[in-house]
Amino acid sequence: MAKERKRRQPADAPPPGDDDEGRDHRREKKPRKERPDPVLPSQIKNKDKRKEVHAKLKREKKAQKRKLARERGQAAQRAVELGEQPPEKLVPRTIENTREPDETVCRPDDQELFAGNDADEFNAVLKQQTTPKVLITTCRFNSGRGPAFIEELMQVIPNSCYVKRGTYELKKIVEYANNRDFTSLVVVHTNRREPDALLIINLPAGPTAHFKLSKLILRKDIKNHGNPTSHKPELVLNNFTTRLGHRVGRMIQSLFPQEPNFRGRRVVTFHNQRDYIFFRHHRYIFEMKENKIASKDKKAKTSESKSQPEKQVICRLQECGPRFTLKLLTLQHGTFDTKNGEYEWVHKPDMDTSRRRFFL
Amino acid sequence: MPRTSVVESPGCPPLRALTTDILGLIKVVEARTKPAGVAKVVETWGAPDAPRAVLAASLADRAVDPVLAVARKNGVVELLNPLNGETLAGVNAAAGRAAPADSSAEEDPLATLHLFRRHALDSSMLGTFLACTEKGKAYVKSVAKENASSDMAVGPSSSWDVSNSGTVQFSSVDAGESYAMFGGKGIEVNLWDITSCSKIWSAKSPRGNSLQIFTAPWFTAGTFLCKDDHRKIVACTNNHQVRLYDTASQRRPVISVDFRESPIKAVAEDPNGHAVYIGTGRGDLASFDMRTGKLLGCFVGKCSGSIRSIVRHPELPLIASCGLDSYLRIWDTNTRQLLSAVFLKQHLTAVVIDSYFSTEELEETKSKQPDPVGAEVRKERKEKKNRTSEMDEDETRMLDHDDSDSEMHTSKRKKSGEKSKGMKKKSKKQQVA
Repeated sequence: MAKERKRRQPADAPPPGDDDEGRDHRREKKPRKERPDPVLPSQIKNKDKRKEVHAKLKREKKAQKRKLARERGQAAQRAVELGEQPPEKLVPRTIENTREPDETVCRPDDQELFAGNDADEFNAVLKQQTTPKVLITTCRFNSGRGPAFIEELMQVIPNSCYVKRGTYELKKIVEYANNRDFTSLVVVHTNRREPDALLIINLPAGPTAHFKLSKLILRKDIKNHGNPTSHKPELVLNNFTTRLGHRVGRMIQSLFPQEPNFRGRRVVTFHNQRDYIFFRHHRYIFEMKENKIASKDKKAKTSESKSQPEKQVICRLQECGPRFTLKLLTLQHGTFDTKNGEYEWVHKPDMDTSRRRFFL
Repeated sequence: MPRTSVVESPGCPPLRALTTDILGLIKVVEARTKPAGVAKVVETWGAPDAPRAVLAASLADRAVDPVLAVARKNGVVELLNPLNGETLAGVNAAAGRAAPADSSAEEDPLATLHLFRRHALDSSMLGTFLACTEKGKAYVKSVAKENASSDMAVGPSSSWDVSNSGTVQFSSVDAGESYAMFGGKGIEVNLWDITSCSKIWSAKSPRGNSLQIFTAPWFTAGTFLCKDDHRKIVACTNNHQVRLYDTASQRRPVISVDFRESPIKAVAEDPNGHAVYIGTGRGDLASFDMRTGKLLGCFVGKCSGSIRSIVRHPELPLIASCGLDSYLRIWDTNTRQLLSAVFLKQHLTAVVIDSYFSTEELEETKSKQPDPVGAEVRKERKEKKNRTSEMDEDETRMLDHDDSDSEMHTSKRKKSGEKSKGMKKKSKKQQVA
């Protein structure tokens, strides 16, 4: 008994400092039990005890959560049985849906936005006045996964060609590409035999975007990958909401031809989430498949099956081509010029004061 | 992970600023609440049209009929009423009369513009401006009011070549408005006398470094340091240097300071006569004390795009900066704190501050809502205000009007020279002390 008491003492005791004499403590014990325990596990000095209390708290929390979930589930079921509207599903609070309000987010009714779009550098390509023609090159020392990545990138972007960098300066290559009527220039930068940056330059005068490239997985490392055809791909740009995002989205859009070949069933996705742009390349197929769920209640099925075939159209995806993540570092006004360049947007460390602020 | 902490910007005192952008729009931003409030876009003038993009703007900031001049991409200089956005006149700077855009504007667009603050000699004139194209053709032109006879409208005008090679990137006119300074890529800083159209002084590039490496001149911004002295010039280079030239003493810079690693794109002087504010191509804004060349401090706060234009409010301790990140930001110069930021949706090219704006008049006009009288009231008030506050300046102005043109300038120059000498002595004494 005494032992137990001793052990319990530090747990129930108020934070060290206002520890009273033993007797007073024991006498006061009963009234204290009635009020909620204010002791946090982090305030306990004894590690074993702290662990124990922490585990107990965690267990309680988990049980509570499970209980609430069960209650919600039961309520929903009851509502369904009674034929009522089921209660609304709770939406988890994520960093994205608690994003800080941003005045730069584009609104669909903004006339100035459309006027700006008509005046920007990508307009000629996006209005199909010119066909995009992309030149792909590398940094000076290109090896490792760089060449393989470029090979796959050339399959992704139609009408693109690779030019060996040699020892030319990038400004010279921009000039070269301008003379040959290229509309964009993509530079894959490798560091330690690993592609780590992507530079997209819109030509002849357009902005230059510098992306960090990470999480590169090449086609052969993707399980059950498919091989893309040479059809013009469809393009999916997700979540480019702000002005800056809109501009970057348009820039990426201008790399691809604007009339996709739907027969090819090829999709290229740029999905923006929390300022990271995820690239995926898929083939899709629509297939007819038997509906398995319908077999459960036979009566309903038999009545329906006479009028309808018990088949359902499903879509299947097969990933092909590289998988990587981009993060915008800078957007420069004009073509590549690090020394004299003017930036439209630079990521600066003092902008990172909140996890809930995004720029794209 | 950093916790979210929102520092509320304290808001800025009553203020009216006009910004121009690459779509040719002019936006009016006002902060109306009395002690401190949020700045908001009040009005937008013009229709979005990319060929009419505004390249430079200048405001003749005076109490009575202020005029705003904007240089458009198609070579037209437009004069507007900054109170209601009415277009008063449009002049093709190169052709000489109000003509539509021609092909010359495309290959040689206007680079800089300055509208003279002093009143025109006779009342039929709207104003006089100094414009300079990228290839170095400078024009001084007077614009008449619309109702005056049209062909005779363009009054005294002159043009000269600032340089034969290189591109002009900035020009600046001193407070007395008799000297202009030009500079650019491949052009050293030049000082010109506007009345006689002659070059007075030109800078010499600094000596090569220890490796005898010489950098070609590339000036991106410049201003006169003091109000009453046209001989101290601050020029900023593309090579991220802030230089102080003293035209009275030598042709090489007196002080040259490096600031970070991106080209400096804008500079503005402080009326106290020794501080300057500079903005760079990466969106850094800082202030320098040009007596010593020391960095006073940086203006920190999420400014992420190149700064194209900075203006200092003539009375309040405020600066406004704008640039490619499409924000107009208003800063306190004493605390270097961001007071207000307004998102204006387009890449901005220039900002000007209308210093004669006050909220009282606004309320008055509101009470008398749809009337042209409000403006009149405002003007009268301002006149009064001006008279009381800047009595001596007005007097000089009046004198100027009476005198003939050439006389005025000579007298002014003398005055400024005397004044500056006095100032110099004083400053020396201070230094000794």
